[in-house]
Amino acid sequence: MADANNDSKKKIRNFTFKALKATVKGVLFYGIYFALWMYLAPISQMIPGLQQMVETFVIVYIFLIIVGELTSKTVFQYFFNMVKALFVIGYLIFSLKNGIFGLTFQNIRLTVDFRLFLVIAMLLSLLGLAKSVFQAINYMNEKAEYTRI
Amino acid sequence: MRIPIRMIDIATTFFWTFLIAFSVSAVYSVKDIHFDFGQPQIEVTPDNKIIFSQLMSITNKGFYNIGSFNISTEVADKEGFTITRGFTFTLVINKNDTVTVTHNMTIDINDLLQQNKNYLFNDTELKIYEKVGLSIAEVIPVQGSANFSMPWGAPLYNFTLGNAEYTPYNLTHLKVVVPISFENHAFFDLVGKIQIQMYNSINIVVGKGQTNVEAHHNSPYNGHLEFYISIGGITAIGHFEVYFLTTLFNYGPLVIPYG
Repeated sequence: MADANNDSKKKIRNFTFKALKATVKGVLFYGIYFALWMYLAPISQMIPGLQQMVETFVIVYIFLIIVGELTSKTVFQYFFNMVKALFVIGYLIFSLKNGIFGLTFQNIRLTVDFRLFLVIAMLLSLLGLAKSVFQAINYMNEKAEYTRI
Repeated sequence: MRIPIRMIDIATTFFWTFLIAFSVSAVYSVKDIHFDFGQPQIEVTPDNKIIFSQLMSITNKGFYNIGSFNISTEVADKEGFTITRGFTFTLVINKNDTVTVTHNMTIDINDLLQQNKNYLFNDTELKIYEKVGLSIAEVIPVQGSANFSMPWGAPLYNFTLGNAEYTPYNLTHLKVVVPISFENHAFFDLVGKIQIQMYNSINIVVGKGQTNVEAHHNSPYNGHLEFYISIGGITAIGHFEVYFLTTLFNYGPLVIPYG
């Protein structure tokens, strides 16, 4: 009875610690976004929908950070890390289309070529995806070795 | 396996930080690029070409250099025929530097008239396609383009020869006075000569004359031209051939029937 009580307390303590860590990470990420947005704010007035687009990304990314953190020390943490990397790739493709960002204001058309940025960001995201796969394999390996011992 | 994973982790974190910091600062730099446009200048070269010059000063107060700054302008008529093109290119505009460029476009009126004489006599609209390109931090190409229209004012708008007045000069010749009127809608002054040749019904020249013309831009011109014709050659119908010899262009003959 006492063991079960202790185990339950330990679980609650672990979950509280994870939740705290997730909150700190989420707040930190939002803080970085907030600081960077101050630089992008003058430009965002010229590009309608940019703020909404970036905010959607930040919300989903923070959600994945929190979920990933809450599922830490399980295989699901790596699964959510993979989802995070895939989300970044998908979001970049979806928002930047083919890497050429166009904007029309009255009879003026503005085009920004983000292809180089897109390629580098995709490669980094793929590297992040590969890292998550390796981490998942490593986790399963370590778990199998531990079980065998 | 932990070490390679850790190395990948460090590398991705470093490159992501670098990429985001670079992109944000590069985009932020855009607001520190200032363009100043001078008054457009129009001048006529000794070989009778019109040069439009636009002085432009670019101040780069951003964090990075600007690469491949270019301006291109294409002027076309309503049918899409290209009248003139202008291109200006600057390789690099260093940070904290100001570069002044002159964007020139040349129009040869004689070439223009060979394509379409309506530019002389009818007002129309010209389509202008303007394109400005630059590379932020020399790696992010940005391009702005715009289409707009510009009115073209005809230098000989509503050119008409009035009814010729014939008065006896001597026993063999008549003095002919032909009224000339038009409006100079062009952006330039029209200075030159108008020559008229009078043909009878069997296409024989019966008389010719010329007059000096000076019509300022956006002003009407009313004048007349005098010449003498032999009484024997005159017929009730015929035609005038009008030639324009100006400082900017030569055109003719413009055939105007009489009678």
